[in-house]
Amino acid sequence: MTLELHATPQEVMRAVEALQTFGQARQVAERTLFGLALALEECSSNIVNHALQRDAGKTFRVTFEHTGSTMFIELRDRGPMFDPTQAPVMEPAADDDARPPGGWGIQLVRRYTDDVRYMRADDENVLRLIKHMSPNNGQ
Amino acid sequence: MPLEILILKTSGDKNLAAVTVKLTGSLDTATAPELERHLAPVLAGPVKHLVFDLAQLKFISSAGLRVFAAARKQLKERSGQTLFVNMQSQIQEVFEIMKSLPGVAIFKDEAELDAYLAVRQRKHLENQ
Repeated sequence: MTLELHATPQEVMRAVEALQTFGQARQVAERTLFGLALALEECSSNIVNHALQRDAGKTFRVTFEHTGSTMFIELRDRGPMFDPTQAPVMEPAADDDARPPGGWGIQLVRRYTDDVRYMRADDENVLRLIKHMSPNNGQ
Repeated sequence: MPLEILILKTSGDKNLAAVTVKLTGSLDTATAPELERHLAPVLAGPVKHLVFDLAQLKFISSAGLRVFAAARKQLKERSGQTLFVNMQSQIQEVFEIMKSLPGVAIFKDEAELDAYLAVRQRKHLENQ
């Protein structure tokens, strides 16, 4: 399933809702789906806010695949080259006031997926999120 | 999923003014600005305790966490506090992963929160 989305927050949430419907139809466990929805929200928001600068005339694409044991989410945009997998791992801070506001999203993506792969292909950023599941319970 | 925001003032003592914000739905990149707009007049007032009731909050992303963090920072600057009650397990897990709001108070339900606020009220009156 592939969606073509405009670079707006509302379109990000349209993708999230489509993922939830896609996952529920394939009996993906609620907890797993929550994490994947969160990972998709974070990655899509990053594209909308940074790569495409909230220019609603620009679009990006999201594709979902489910093989039974694995969920794949692929995001493609034509923004400047940016590899989120290279973002540094943040250490917990004693006081978050001292911490920069960015960087939370990729932490959540790492936590709720098993693998995050980036490549630049055909002038596009291609980000692939991978989550393995038990075929019995979808988790 | 939209976000419904209900704001309730719960305390009469202006020095311990408390406001409860009940959130229903999804606090995400599309709805976080809406919560920011609703909180702005609240934070402009004398509120000392800001209570977020998350019983009906189904989804949160880093955009939502940033709104909480900004509110917490403002209240901390006036010796106030941000409190969370009735947090669902998946929402609590996101908080724990991020360790995004160290020092905030999280209560499992209203009874636990009320007991805490009563102690704060008593200490405040003793210090007057």
